[in-house]
Amino acid sequence: MIELKQLSKKFGDRWALRSLDLTVSHGEIFGLLGHNGAGKSTAIGMMLGQVWPTAGEAIICGHDVAENRPRALHKVGAIFETPVFYDYLSGWRNLEILSQYTAPTAPARMREVLEWVGLTGREMAKVKTYSHGMRTRLALAQALLPNPELLILDEPSDGLDPEGIHEMRETILRLRHELGLTILLSSHLLNEVEQLCTRIAVLNQGVKVFDGTLEQIRQSRLGWVRLNVGDFTAALADLCAQQLVTDARDGSHVILAPGVRTDALVRRLVEQGMPLFEIVHEEQTLEGFYLDLMKKKEEPVVPVQG
Amino acid sequence: MFWLQLRGELWKLFGKKRTYIGFGMFLLAQTIVALVFRFSNASREMVRTLEGNSYVANYYVSSLTIATIMLFPIAYMLLPLYVSLVGGDLVAKEAEDGTLRMILSRPITRFRLLFVKWLAGVLFSLLLVAVLGFTGVASAALWFPWGGMFVFIPGEVFSVFGPADGLFHFTIAHGMLWAKAVTVMGLAFMFSCFNVKPAAATVLALSFVFLNFILMNIPFFKEIQHWFFTYHLNLWQGMLVEPIPWWKVGSSLIVLAAFNITFFLIGSTAFQVRDIKS
Repeated sequence: MIELKQLSKKFGDRWALRSLDLTVSHGEIFGLLGHNGAGKSTAIGMMLGQVWPTAGEAIICGHDVAENRPRALHKVGAIFETPVFYDYLSGWRNLEILSQYTAPTAPARMREVLEWVGLTGREMAKVKTYSHGMRTRLALAQALLPNPELLILDEPSDGLDPEGIHEMRETILRLRHELGLTILLSSHLLNEVEQLCTRIAVLNQGVKVFDGTLEQIRQSRLGWVRLNVGDFTAALADLCAQQLVTDARDGSHVILAPGVRTDALVRRLVEQGMPLFEIVHEEQTLEGFYLDLMKKKEEPVVPVQG
Repeated sequence: MFWLQLRGELWKLFGKKRTYIGFGMFLLAQTIVALVFRFSNASREMVRTLEGNSYVANYYVSSLTIATIMLFPIAYMLLPLYVSLVGGDLVAKEAEDGTLRMILSRPITRFRLLFVKWLAGVLFSLLLVAVLGFTGVASAALWFPWGGMFVFIPGEVFSVFGPADGLFHFTIAHGMLWAKAVTVMGLAFMFSCFNVKPAAATVLALSFVFLNFILMNIPFFKEIQHWFFTYHLNLWQGMLVEPIPWWKVGSSLIVLAAFNITFFLIGSTAFQVRDIKS
């Protein structure tokens, strides 16, 4: 559905995005992560033909956006952070206006979508009377009107209260399960991405520093093993000497050497007569992984390809 | 689908209160001018000029004449202001509000979007000029009788018409005023396509018009007046003389058409290469 090839954008002297390669397959919920200014919105802008690439290609639904934007975006819906509308018009009128930029839309279809997003009964009220949550639902309705196959959500939970964030999360899952949409979700809410996405890419200062599945993250070599022993320092010295662990932190966590499993540690510690109370292979959380990636931003990038 | 998109643009345009400022201000200005002429001796000079040329002054101090008198300051000052206010808003306001990003996430080409918006501006200009003419005659008719039309610009125009002829000339003058309104709107629209605030687009357009007007009226440039943009904007005045200088009006129309095409092409080129960001 989405294929970005060496996509780059330079604003003046500053690279907003550098050589981004990205593939999002049909049916995925793909997360685009990164801090503010990392290049997420620039990448989305180029996918939608709003920002011209300095180099590279954005291919959406099989069409190059720069060459054939109308065809590329024919089955695409998008929502941006802080949804804006023509406040002085009704929600219904807004939907009519926006949908006509894609194709004429039957009133029955509009009613169906309004029902789906839960705005039935309020569609004739002026948008200026809508709450933030209702605006978000209206934004979702306008994105769904053209019967999209791909939905691009740029910070959709921005500004929502906890209930709103929860509702948005549920809605995104419904979009995938009930409508079978492919979704690209740009966010800096790690918890949201962790709960929704099957695969993610992380951008840092315009450069992709990770691309892979959440499972890969959980299993990644960055995962720590919590070790509760009588004398951590002595245990660590012995395990290091045996080349069973490569790193340690907090007086309680170690990183296993490549190919080493926890049973090898248990065996060694027991053989050495060191009291072992607990050993837990901690799954890497997305938050921990993300923060580690950000710390490593000065180091050469070694992407994990999913 | 094109017509649906145009209808959408008109909904947006006429849904905003500020779109109606021009209509309201025209009516206010026309009412004030009519009252001033009715309840002061402002028409004395006109009566003297008519009688000095052996015309029955009362016949020509009519609603048509007063409507024409009020037309001049409005056409020179207020009309450019209000059409450039709307023209300057058409793209820049949507970019500022963020709705442009919503539109451009849809499969419409930038050129087509601009054309639809420009056409909405053209229709707004048509309506504004039509209302200007209608309310001019209507507000003058409340205080002055129906009669002949007298147009006098010292050193330039001295025309007297019967009521039917007067109404004809008054009407086609508004037709040409539409050309002026569209061109000034198109100028503001062009600036609106650049990455500027709506107010900046309006101010730039008005500055361009007024600067041309000032330069054109400097005696040094008298001989080359026809090279100035504003010279051709005044083609509507040619409809108020008899016989109508059709050749001059026609050439001005061609020049304005060229200006309009140029403005649109510059605007659409600037818009095409722009990055639309939040």
